[in-house]
Amino acid sequence: MAEICRISTTFVEYKESGKRPLNYEPKGGIHMNQIKLTTGGIVIVRPAGELDHHTADSIKREVSRLIFGGKANAVIWNLGSLQFMDSAGIGLILGRMRDLGAVEGGTVILNPSPTMKKMFELSGLGSHLMEGTEEDAIKRLGGILHGK
Amino acid sequence: MENEMKLSFAAISENEALARMTLTFFVAALDPTLEEISEYKTVISEAVTNAIIHGYDEDRSGVVTVHATLNGREVTVIISDEGGGIENVEEAMQPMYTSKPERERSGMGFTIMESFTDSLSVDSRQGGGTTVTFKKKFSPVQETCSSVG
Repeated sequence: MAEICRISTTFVEYKESGKRPLNYEPKGGIHMNQIKLTTGGIVIVRPAGELDHHTADSIKREVSRLIFGGKANAVIWNLGSLQFMDSAGIGLILGRMRDLGAVEGGTVILNPSPTMKKMFELSGLGSHLMEGTEEDAIKRLGGILHGK
Repeated sequence: MENEMKLSFAAISENEALARMTLTFFVAALDPTLEEISEYKTVISEAVTNAIIHGYDEDRSGVVTVHATLNGREVTVIISDEGGGIENVEEAMQPMYTSKPERERSGMGFTIMESFTDSLSVDSRQGGGTTVTFKKKFSPVQETCSSVG
């Protein structure tokens, strides 16, 4: 469970460094959100840990910056490493779809958990769901972006 | 199994994770499935986020209270705030409705909560705070090991 991992990571590093754990900031590792841009203008987002109203903002800023900077025309949300998501995740993805609207870009939601999948389907995003690898998702986007 | 707990915390978004974690430990002894616990955590997160964002408008001096009782394999959770309240509960519960479109809320909170619980009720008065009560029953533990000898 994410919470336990984080507590134990803090504790181990505290013990090893001998420093006080006050203001301790985890160095990322297993909880680091990864955002990268492919040469083909596709943003791949790999959120990790727990995605809620508190954690959604930093991802929003970075992905929007890439879209509005003219560098990106599609987003792949790889949720395979995400342990928890509430409706803030839906708002985050819907918001970026609106950002992409200007460039007629595509969106793929990759490997959500069964609970996340239900939430996306309830929100009308079922057609963007996909199981597979990021390469599969890139291929699918190639079809969407160039098949018009 | 019977048990009861109460937790009060400041209306700041960091505490959404605190509420999820505490209430997850509260039902851990029931050994829920991964999907059940994930749905349960989602409902708590939605209700607590609503209290923080809509009830108190992120005013850190607000207090959110969570009261949970366990009766057999059914948990009842009451999440309450003393914030601004909801003007029209019926309207707020419509899918895609949000009173804060600028905040990038999906408007799916109540729809998701209804879908992941066995019962859900929302009691709110404008200026008088909001109370969300939900019940969720966890399925019996499946015996996967057969006894030998």
